[in-house]
Order: sequence, then C-alpha cells, then structure tokens
Amino acid sequence: MEFKTILFYLFAAVLLGSALRVITARNPVHAVLFLVLAFFNAAGIWMLLQAEFLAIALVMVYVGAVMVLFLFVVMMLDVNIERLRQGFWSYLPLGGVIALLMLGEMILVVGGRYFGLENFPGQNVAAGASNTKELARLLFTKYAWPFEIASLILLVAIIAAVMLTLRKRGDTKAVHPSDQIKVKRNDRVRMVKMQSETNISLQAGSSATPKGD
Amino acid sequence: MLENYFSVLVFILVGLAFGCMPILMGRFVAPHRPDAEKLSAFECGFEPFEDARMKFDVRYYLIAIIFILFDLEIAFLFPWASIFQEIVNTPAVKFFGFIEMFVFMGILVVGYIYAWAKGALDWE
Repeated sequence: MEFKTILFYLFAAVLLGSALRVITARNPVHAVLFLVLAFFNAAGIWMLLQAEFLAIALVMVYVGAVMVLFLFVVMMLDVNIERLRQGFWSYLPLGGVIALLMLGEMILVVGGRYFGLENFPGQNVAAGASNTKELARLLFTKYAWPFEIASLILLVAIIAAVMLTLRKRGDTKAVHPSDQIKVKRNDRVRMVKMQSETNISLQAGSSATPKGD
Repeated sequence: MLENYFSVLVFILVGLAFGCMPILMGRFVAPHRPDAEKLSAFECGFEPFEDARMKFDVRYYLIAIIFILFDLEIAFLFPWASIFQEIVNTPAVKFFGFIEMFVFMGILVVGYIYAWAKGALDWE
C-alpha cells in the first residue's frame, strides 16, 4: 500500500473517531476540542488532495477563529448537561427516524451518481500547477461579483455582532484617556470669591457664613 | 508537491509523541494506586460551593466574532497575492484585478470604522 493511502486512512480514522466523540462527549468543552481535532484531520485529508490553500484556510479560520468562538459560546451559555440529557430515551425513536431519513437524503445527494469519480474526468493540469493559483484565477475573474458580495455579508455580520452584543456597563470604573484629555479647567476646579476673614473672635456667635458653598 | 509537507508531518508526529509519551509513561511506569481520599479536600481546603463553570461576559464573544470576520478577510488575501504578478502583467485584468481587492477591503474597513466608532474595540 502506498504511503499516501496509509496516511489517508489514518487521517480518516482519527477524523471519524473524533467526530463521534464530538456528539458523545459529556463535557461540552471536550466536544469542542474534539471538533478541533476533527478539523485538523480534515485539513490533512485536503492536503493529501493537494488542496493546499483550503487546508491552511481550514486550520487558520476554523481552528484559529471559529473554534475559539465556539469555546466562548459554550462557556457563556452555562450549559447544564444533566438537564439536556433528560428525556434522551423518549426522544430516541423520533430522532432516530429523522436521522435515518437525513442519512438517506445525504446518500442520494452526495452519492456516486453526481460526485463519483467518473463524473469528474480530471482536468489536464500541468505537473507543477498550483492549486491556490487556479483557485485565485477563478475567484478574481469568473466569481469576482460573488466575491465582492461576500465582503458585504461580512460587513453585515460585523454590524449585527456589534449591535447585538455591545452594551455599556454602568458599574465599571474605567477611565477613557480621551475624556481625560478633553477636560477643561472649569470641570475640575471652581474659584470661589469670598470676603477675607476678619478677626473671628470679635464675631463669635454671629452668622458669618462665607459666600458660595 | 506533497513531499514538501513531509517535514510538517514529521513535526506533527514528534509533537504528538512529545505530548503523549509523558502521560503514557506516567500511566504505565509510575505506581498507580487511586484512592478517593487522595482527591478529597484536606486541611484548609473545603468542598466547592457551586459549579466552577460560570457565565462569561458577552464581550468576549464580540471580540471573537470580530476576529473571525477579519481573519476571513485575510484568508482571501492569500490567493490574490499568489497571482498578483500575473494580474499586473496581464493588460486585460490589470486594473480590474488590482482594484477588486481594494473594493473588498474597503467595504470591510467600513465595518472596522463602525466597530471602532461604536466603542466595540474598547475594554471598559
């Protein structure tokens, strides 16, 4: 057996095992970490297919950013795993039927009829051709318009995230340097004009209050 | 092409061995006599009052999602950079291919300015 085939089966086995652990792990944080392992192995398989850019992007975007978000969300939601597990057996028959239906759909859609090897005759790629460059040529010529729309979608996501999660907390004691710099003298110090005090012993008992505060 | 990544594979394997070997050796070589008393609180320790997992501030989520979005933007820059010479040397797409990425980034800079102006990047 070729070395690449051995590597493929190794990556695929670890991928399937960790994907199984994602849905069976009791601790949600462990599930997220197993998902990270699954992504790493998927990147390995893509690398075996010589899809360099996709493999690196998977590690960079999914492992580096999306899984961090998942970890935050898991920690933020305060999941009570015992409560989630209640009623597992009573929902199992219905859930099982739906899962089987979805499995059938996936086999029909992603099966060999459309995605089999015979449907992809293999492009005539030169020996030293770079997968990344081929991808870029398509992305920046044929798919230039969807590419620009992707940036708009990202913009909407930024605005939505800021709108949904940004709220000022009133109880913090943080000081903004810009506010400090903008402070005028009158905001801090007030000069109060008052009469100079005369001999206090002469006016003892009288209502000699200074003007102002 | 894959031969170039062989050293990466070696790195992964060495890293795995480096992480797993001490744990496995500790498990199999060291004496292993578990006891409930060894894990219990002693002396000044006390039983935990509540679950250690508490709610995080939603602010961490905001920082993470802004990071993801700009990470994605960067990911699109790499294929563009890989064919940049080609774009510049082809008269037909010279201007278009060059401007295209700046339009892409310009739209995202609007989002960046928005997040900045709203104070989403501040940490009170």
